[in-house]
Amino acid sequence: MAILTLVIASMPLWLSLPAPSQALQIDHARFTGLNKTPETVSLPHIQGRHRAVGHYQISFELSTPSTEHRYLFIPVLSYRAIIAIDGDVVSDTGTNALIPGITLGVSALVPLSGRHLAAGRHVVDILLEAPGIARGYLSPVYVGTAPQIVPYHRLRVFVLEHTRTMVLACQLLLAIATLMAWCYRPQESLYGWLFLLHGVSLASYAGLLADLVPDMFVWIPYMLTINMASVFILHIIALKIGDMPTPRGMRVCVVLVPAVFIVAMAWNIAPASALVSGVITIMVLSPLITVAISAWAALVKKISEAWLLLVPLCIFSITALYDGALVIGLLDGPVFLSLYYRQLLIVAIVIILMRRLGLSLMRLDSANAHLTQRLAEREAELRRLHDEERIEATGRVRSEERQRLTEDLHDGLSGHLSSIIAQAEREHTPGIERTARDALDDLRLVIHSLDIGDRELTVALSCLRERLESQLRRLGVTLEWTMIRLPEISGVTPAHALSVLRIVQEAITNAIRHGPASHIAVRGSAGPQGEAIIVIENDGTQYADKGSHSDTGRPRTGGSGTGIRNMNRRAAAVGGTVCVEAVPHGTRVTLSLPRHLSRAPAPANT
Amino acid sequence: MENDSVRFDPQPSQQPVSPVCNILLVEDDNALRSRFESILSRWTGGHLIAACGTLQDAMAVLQTTRIDLLIADLRLPDGHGTQAIRRLLSMNPNAEAMVISAMVDSEVVIAAIEAGATGYLLKDVSPDDLIDAIEELRAGRSPISSSIARVIVRRLGSRKPAGPPATNAPAPALSDETVSLTPREIDILWGIAKGLTYAEVAEQLRLSRQTVPVHIKNIYRKLRVGNRSEAVFEASRLGLIWL
Repeated sequence: MAILTLVIASMPLWLSLPAPSQALQIDHARFTGLNKTPETVSLPHIQGRHRAVGHYQISFELSTPSTEHRYLFIPVLSYRAIIAIDGDVVSDTGTNALIPGITLGVSALVPLSGRHLAAGRHVVDILLEAPGIARGYLSPVYVGTAPQIVPYHRLRVFVLEHTRTMVLACQLLLAIATLMAWCYRPQESLYGWLFLLHGVSLASYAGLLADLVPDMFVWIPYMLTINMASVFILHIIALKIGDMPTPRGMRVCVVLVPAVFIVAMAWNIAPASALVSGVITIMVLSPLITVAISAWAALVKKISEAWLLLVPLCIFSITALYDGALVIGLLDGPVFLSLYYRQLLIVAIVIILMRRLGLSLMRLDSANAHLTQRLAEREAELRRLHDEERIEATGRVRSEERQRLTEDLHDGLSGHLSSIIAQAEREHTPGIERTARDALDDLRLVIHSLDIGDRELTVALSCLRERLESQLRRLGVTLEWTMIRLPEISGVTPAHALSVLRIVQEAITNAIRHGPASHIAVRGSAGPQGEAIIVIENDGTQYADKGSHSDTGRPRTGGSGTGIRNMNRRAAAVGGTVCVEAVPHGTRVTLSLPRHLSRAPAPANT
Repeated sequence: MENDSVRFDPQPSQQPVSPVCNILLVEDDNALRSRFESILSRWTGGHLIAACGTLQDAMAVLQTTRIDLLIADLRLPDGHGTQAIRRLLSMNPNAEAMVISAMVDSEVVIAAIEAGATGYLLKDVSPDDLIDAIEELRAGRSPISSSIARVIVRRLGSRKPAGPPATNAPAPALSDETVSLTPREIDILWGIAKGLTYAEVAEQLRLSRQTVPVHIKNIYRKLRVGNRSEAVFEASRLGLIWL
């Protein structure tokens, strides 16, 4: 890509525009220099000295009178020609070509008409004017029909003149753009320097004002001198892009050096030509310093942006050297190239600025993305904390409520019940004592279950065990209890715990009440499907279902049926089942519970 | 596992009970007080010095008489039973204290344990169980319920021991330097807190079942809030300071 750019960019240095091949080519002329004797020269011809006016006389012959229009075409001349055919002045390039300043090279196309088309020999006189700093140039002259000539002329007009104005347009545009950028970001002095660069470069187009300001061409050397400031500005820009400090002297040069030259010119301190030569020397050699600065930045400081400036700078400085060579006569050519190559520099600077903009936007985007992500994380964190806080607050409220209820029950009801038990015992009223004990037991069940959290069913069961074992011991019943193999059950709420405790208590109460059991076993285990199973087995009376076993004649009490219904209802409320069955030496109650208890079951409150 | 009842082994003869065990009863409910009074007065192993209905009376007795065993209700009309427990232990550091509670309500019992109690009784405890409990306590064994163990475990900074047979596990650093339970004691607490019986805990830890209540009593002693100020005691009771 870079090589291709280089090849395309350097084309004008080694490639010349095509010349008409079909048309009649005239490559010899009779040249009369100022105060010189005429001589025959071959075209293209370059006049020997500066500030010369030369007279060329060429001739061509038309064998037959042409019915077609024919044209006289001079691909490149420098820089103004007055053309006469057969003694009639037909064209003055100064009237129709845009001469912005010290640029060289225009193309001329003169239509032949009337007697100029008659058969025979025709003489063309060309009075060629050269600017002060370069020599006159005349390319070969062509005569041909419109198809033979016009495309070549158009190409030259485009390349030599339109491109020049395109550079101007670009410079104006960038001058405005950089000024705007500088206005909005005054802390970035690079924009200011770029604006200044474009500003002073516009001075080289002062020639365009010639039509408005009659003696504009008098000011051209001054404009050139002002334009010279751009080379120092370019140094500063290269330093800034290379991230290097700008020496104070460099900034002073921007103003001081052109000012010195202008003052010298205005007061005729030195010969004007010498001053212009000095200006041109600085302008030709100074880009080499800029190249050195950029090369240092690119190669030593390894700043990739500097490469973007270095490549066009190299080409620009080569063209500047080329132009310098043209001026001092080392090279022959009709066109100053460096003015065109400013465009390349401008493009490079635009690329650098756009790149900076793009990188800034990318950084902005990534910073934005980073911040958005951080924000999302923080929001998620806050949401999580909020949820936790909410759950904790709910739990706290519940726990406080539970605590209050527990304290109330503890202080009031349980104390009273204990007192009733004590009094009933003293007064030997076993019925009241029994009922009071049952009430106290049930109250304990309720209070203990209130304190039960998730996965704490075994704790709830062990509270029941702790209470039952002393009661059973009093009754002479041994209690075997093991919950070590009971799988952990989740989703346990106090209501669940209470239901399970009541089922187990009911099973044990039934065993004591209905079967004179001497041994009760309560075992927790895992079922075949992973469910939790609590088996309550006693060695008392065998259970007999009224429906299927009534004929066995075993005595049953109505209360038992109610008890089993209650157990079933409570088991269903927690999503489990109860199975009561007879075993060889007693009765077995099997409570089966899912590993995860369903949320908020209807509390079994009877 | 055969008979897993955690009933205390009724072998009161093995422990070196001091011949005279002076008992002080503090219970504000008349019916309960007279019930306990009658049970205790029938017991030949101890001598009931007084049965008080108020903290003031109890303090007066503590001031004048050497008491070996204090059985106290916590909520008294003129104060808290823990005050009597503290006074008792300051007078006689070797004395024992039991609290009477309507239920094994963990917070109440823990407060009493922090005050220095090493046992607790239910208000409707049967006469035999009451005497058993006293004798067990005198023999160096304390009861514990799973809900009490749960609260203690939570307060010790929910640090779970390495595994069930954690006999070789290094002692985990506890959150409070004043309570340094051994790994075994922590394992026992964890087992009880999970709802295991003494027998199951003993089997898991390869202990004799009888030694579990001995460990429990040691745990209670370690949990006791020593000679700290009342403010610190209150703070801990409110859960502001974990013990």
